[in-house]
Amino acid sequence: MTKFSRRSFLKSTAGAAAAAGLTNLAAPALITSARAAGTVKLGCLFSSSGTMANIEGRLNHVVRMAADEINAAGGVNGSTIEVVTSDPASDWPLYAQIGRQMLQQEKVASLFGCWTSVSRKSVLPVVEQADGLLFYPLHFEGDENSKNVVYVNSPPASSVLPAVDYLMSDEGVTAKRFFMLGSDYVWPRTINKQLKGYFKSKGIPETSWKEEYVPLGFSNFQTLVNQIRAFADQPGGQPVVILTTVGSSIPDFFREFINQGIKATEVPVLGLDVVEADLEGLDTAPLVGHLNCWAYLQKAAGPANEKFLKDWAGYVKAKNVPFKADVVIDPMVSAYDSVHLWALAAKKAGSFEVPQVRAAFDGITFDCPSGYKLKMTAENNYVYRGVFIGSVNEAQGFDILWQSKDEPKPIPFSPYG
Amino acid sequence: MIRPLILGWLFAVAVATGASAQSPGRAELIAGLCGNAAATGDAGNRILASAGQPDAAELPWMETVTSALLDRQLKCAADPGQTVVDGGGAVRNAVTLEPASAPDQPKVPVLNLKNRAVFELAQSALRLRVGATPSVRRQALTALGRKAASVPVEVFEQAAAGESDAGLKAEIESTAQISALNSPDIAKRIAAVERLASTPNRRVQTQIAALLADPAYKSDQKFRLAVDAALIKVGQGILLGDVLSTLYNGLSFASILFMAAIGLSVIFGLMGVINLAQGELIMIGAYVTWLTQEALKSIAPGLADYYLFIAVVPAFLVTAGIGVLLEATILRHLYKRPLMSLLATWAISLFLINLVRVSFGTQNLQFLTPFYISGGVPVVGDFIVTWNRLFAIAFAAITLALTWFVVNRTGLGLNIRAVTQNRDMAGCIGIPTRKIDMMAFGLGSGLAGLAGLSLSPIYNVNPQMGGNFIIDSFMVVVLGGVGTIGGTLVAALGVGQVNVLIEPLWGAVAAKVIVLFLIIAFLQWRPEGLFTAKGRRR
Repeated sequence: MTKFSRRSFLKSTAGAAAAAGLTNLAAPALITSARAAGTVKLGCLFSSSGTMANIEGRLNHVVRMAADEINAAGGVNGSTIEVVTSDPASDWPLYAQIGRQMLQQEKVASLFGCWTSVSRKSVLPVVEQADGLLFYPLHFEGDENSKNVVYVNSPPASSVLPAVDYLMSDEGVTAKRFFMLGSDYVWPRTINKQLKGYFKSKGIPETSWKEEYVPLGFSNFQTLVNQIRAFADQPGGQPVVILTTVGSSIPDFFREFINQGIKATEVPVLGLDVVEADLEGLDTAPLVGHLNCWAYLQKAAGPANEKFLKDWAGYVKAKNVPFKADVVIDPMVSAYDSVHLWALAAKKAGSFEVPQVRAAFDGITFDCPSGYKLKMTAENNYVYRGVFIGSVNEAQGFDILWQSKDEPKPIPFSPYG
Repeated sequence: MIRPLILGWLFAVAVATGASAQSPGRAELIAGLCGNAAATGDAGNRILASAGQPDAAELPWMETVTSALLDRQLKCAADPGQTVVDGGGAVRNAVTLEPASAPDQPKVPVLNLKNRAVFELAQSALRLRVGATPSVRRQALTALGRKAASVPVEVFEQAAAGESDAGLKAEIESTAQISALNSPDIAKRIAAVERLASTPNRRVQTQIAALLADPAYKSDQKFRLAVDAALIKVGQGILLGDVLSTLYNGLSFASILFMAAIGLSVIFGLMGVINLAQGELIMIGAYVTWLTQEALKSIAPGLADYYLFIAVVPAFLVTAGIGVLLEATILRHLYKRPLMSLLATWAISLFLINLVRVSFGTQNLQFLTPFYISGGVPVVGDFIVTWNRLFAIAFAAITLALTWFVVNRTGLGLNIRAVTQNRDMAGCIGIPTRKIDMMAFGLGSGLAGLAGLSLSPIYNVNPQMGGNFIIDSFMVVVLGGVGTIGGTLVAALGVGQVNVLIEPLWGAVAAKVIVLFLIIAFLQWRPEGLFTAKGRRR
């Protein structure tokens, strides 16, 4: 068990500084670990600097927390888990570089990491070449099925489409027109491509949607919100915004949206990557009613969630983690699930070797804090899980507006792409 | 057994105490509000319909429970009689509004968007009828005006009849005309069209354009003329609004660019030091603003709303202090080695980012949004003046004036200009060039701190925020011509406006690329930038 001591903290900070500085130069020794013998190593690829730091950074701590939990219960196959963290500095190629280093030099049994799809795509050839395992905790665009990646969160068919269906239903807002606004990279573009295919299959005319992209880290949304207002005022039925911007572009967008006086009841925003952490620093009273969809929301009912929330609060306090103790987001829970799924599979396989662990995925289940029972099958490395639609409330959180009855079967390749 | 009796009695009392016969019973309504989505929506529509009844006695109660539901202060119990309104510092029974105790494990209803729209409308309608002050009623009227066609016309009629404020009464009557858009009386329809056209925007244009397909448009010449005239008028209004809006957006972006670049312009212009830590000084300015706000919250909560003005002094002084410190300890020794100073400032920027990260964490800082920077006001067409942008524009204008004054009208400014133009000669006539360097670096850093302050209501404040500005600000400084305030201003205005013009046509990604390309092309033609100070580098 690696302690998150001041020393390792300083080390990781120094590493982060080096990583930020030497992005495209030779990789410095920026992976931090303290012990080697009698343990099994798990590697984290989550940035604690750069544009993704605010949301990705907390996942490192969740992985440690899950590992601590498993170690406290006796470890896996007689070994204790040691978590190796890094800082890829929100620099996509650096994820691959550090991932390779972790697999080859640190000999980690599995990697846990990536938020954006572009970072996953950059790590993909590395894990495939080395036959490693990467647990990916974000919901994403699908259309990928590697035996070396465990897709812990949902592909669009079981997350985005149910939410869009809800908006189009009479129970939702009977949405007829769609303004798709995203950051310019693979996830938003693929999601929007699939959505357009889906709209076509529903007989919605092409004039009913509009697609706009902004560079990563973009923040000057004045003109775009003007465009949304103009789009919303045209005839043809209820407009909605499907927001696939990421990172700091999310709060910047909402701030401009509020200031131009658009209410959720006039033009609702379905924010596909919006989590509680994105609302930190915003006055959410004018945002009440906007939507998101995830496989976990903090308000999920059930003892598993109560325990998780309590454990996280305790962990933050005990380890002096620089994140809020009372904010838990889906990718945190998915990262936590990932470690447990890996441990269950490793236990079942009686080995840490990737082929054995992968073969053991078939049939393992885990009680997720969301209240749903996660399940994996032999068919692929996708995970069965439930879906929530959340509605922004005035306390910078989300209320549960709708949740799925059971865990829909994950469909890797969208028929609408 | 007893409970239904009590409910029945309450219902009877409610009816007896003045609620008219068609007004739904209180307990029944509360049961609806606490029910499933369909029941809630139904209750909402009934409240909206009741808002137009002549008898206003029951309306204040409806307003209370509607607002409680919207603000999530309605705590539902299994029995509607036990449901409470938990807000405003008291727990009250939802039916009687008498003090009560909260039920065990209450259910707090979450409104879906469809129902939320109904209740927002109902709340405004009720407030228009029974709002305590004219300003509350006027606010409600503005909200209703946007959806006047879906408000029962009786709401406006009754509200106008009961209104004591003469000005507001006229406004209500004017808004009420809109709801007659689909009435059988053609004269009323024409009045409605004319009233709509008096506030031109795209929403109105859509509404009026829909009338082109109306049978009356073909059959009635007067109506046709009115609709055509209204469409022309609305079209003109929208055009004017769009032009103003583009100018405003450009000006607002320019103000951001200008604030980010002005400090750099002073530093780069004077010393030729490429200060890569400039973005981080902006970030520190924003953090100082936040600290000021936190300090005010604990020391003088009454002044906390004015933190943006109060923080001007500390934000400037702290960042200027850091600038002076950096100059005196590090950069001073590197003037002869420009590449080294570039690397050194980069290292400083990384150090500052991580220092802030370790001490504050990576999360976005939470700023108060005082009344003077929240929301906006519609001007003409679809042009809305948003206060936070206006604040940034005004702040940039004042900063520009002050910087110009310091550089052109003070002794320090005279020395700075002298050193910029010819360092050796300035030294020969006794100007302490080293000291001037230090002061100028401080000035440039302090201006970056002010930039952080003015940007905090617009951008997210976190340790990484500085990186967003560094490229843009270099672009502006180089384009404007090194070391001239006027050049920086003109370049910021130009880049901002061009960006805003391109964005709607080809998207934000292309806008960035095209602007960069234009700047490169321009610098090929005029490598010195727009304006050039005659200086030592010639």
